[in-house]
Amino acid sequence: MEFYLQDWVPMASYIGAGLAMGFGAIGSAVGEGYTASEATVAISRNPKISDDILKMMLMGQAVAESASIFGLVIAMMLLFSKFPHQTWITVSVLLASGISMGLGAIGSGIGSGITAGSACKGLARQPGFKDSIQMNMLVGSSVAQTPAIFSLVTSLILIFSDFSSHPVSPTWAAILGAGFAAGFGAVGSGLGDGLVAGAACEGAARQPLAAKTTLSTMFLGMAVTETTAIYGLLVSFILIFREVPATDALAPAMALLAAGLCMGIGAIGPGIGEGFTARSAVTWIARNENHTADITRVMLVGQAVSESTGIYSLVIALVLIFVV
Amino acid sequence: MEGIRQTQKKYGSAALSFAIITGFIFYLVGLVPICKGLILGTLFSILNFVLMGETLPMRIDRSKRSVFVIALGSIFFRYLLMAIPIVMAIRYEQYDLFAVIIGIFMVQLMLLADHLLKFFKDRIKYKN
Repeated sequence: MEFYLQDWVPMASYIGAGLAMGFGAIGSAVGEGYTASEATVAISRNPKISDDILKMMLMGQAVAESASIFGLVIAMMLLFSKFPHQTWITVSVLLASGISMGLGAIGSGIGSGITAGSACKGLARQPGFKDSIQMNMLVGSSVAQTPAIFSLVTSLILIFSDFSSHPVSPTWAAILGAGFAAGFGAVGSGLGDGLVAGAACEGAARQPLAAKTTLSTMFLGMAVTETTAIYGLLVSFILIFREVPATDALAPAMALLAAGLCMGIGAIGPGIGEGFTARSAVTWIARNENHTADITRVMLVGQAVSESTGIYSLVIALVLIFVV
Repeated sequence: MEGIRQTQKKYGSAALSFAIITGFIFYLVGLVPICKGLILGTLFSILNFVLMGETLPMRIDRSKRSVFVIALGSIFFRYLLMAIPIVMAIRYEQYDLFAVIIGIFMVQLMLLADHLLKFFKDRIKYKN
């Protein structure tokens, strides 16, 4: 069975769309399922406010679902758009867009679901502070969607950029690498952000008077947690926009592909680890507001150490792009 | 479930009103595809939000595993529906694709905007 370029372009668009929607649905489905299970626990604890808990769950799930709607948008664009240039780079673009969006939606979907679940539990504990819990949930889970938005932006740039003047080799590998960097890079941060925002919702319920401090620490923790997703975005932009000399050798192409994989996979652990650190900081600031400064200092130092593995990945990715 | 219906009504009507007003402004300046795209996307966003609420009772009081299966099924069903405006925008030039995408997230935008407005109003009240 022989395959020609005109067969590969539609094949790549189908596979890309499948990856965007298939992977993209995982995070939201798990997140929404988690929210519903926590809502069940919350209702059994405080059945009198079951209507309020259901409302909170509905709002949280609506936000958690955004990540997979991004996946749907990209899948539809890959399936129904017309691509004027039928080259091997187009094949690579279609696959990379799907990879970037599909993988990028996983963490944010789960993260937003964790936030909404914690908000439901918090509401059962402290129904009188519904507004501040809801506020923390909506803001926190919206911020947790940012890594998925990075992936969406990367996918859109890939789809709408004109690569016709670029050499096929090694551009095909650089583009695939960009998809992996942005996609995998968003997984850890999305999940980590969700852990932090979830702790802020529980904190607002546990100690409503410390809600303001909890919210500020949540923002700080989430900002640091997101840096590895930003590294992923940075590497993917370098891979997309950097002019590379034409070559028939496979090694330079593999170096660019490896750079994307290195940064993407390397960003998963630090994103989740930093999320754990910030989650504990937010949780314990809510319990012990007087020691906010000490806890915040430990949080930042802990996150910086956890971040170091992400920085190693960034360095190796840059070496693979610029030196090898 | 009455509280959920009220929430759906509140954010659904806010999203539609915002889309119609913004769409009308775009219509007046001659950007008709953006107007149409925004309203089309918003209509499907509201439909999705309503369907989400209607499937809620199915997801309560179940085990974690069955909740996961129901949530996944619900997502796929609603997403088939959400695909309609995007396909329309890609196929027909009378709908702007980016306006449709923004419209699809209109309910979520209204949720966030409502709470942020409340938050800033409370802060101003507290300062005064």
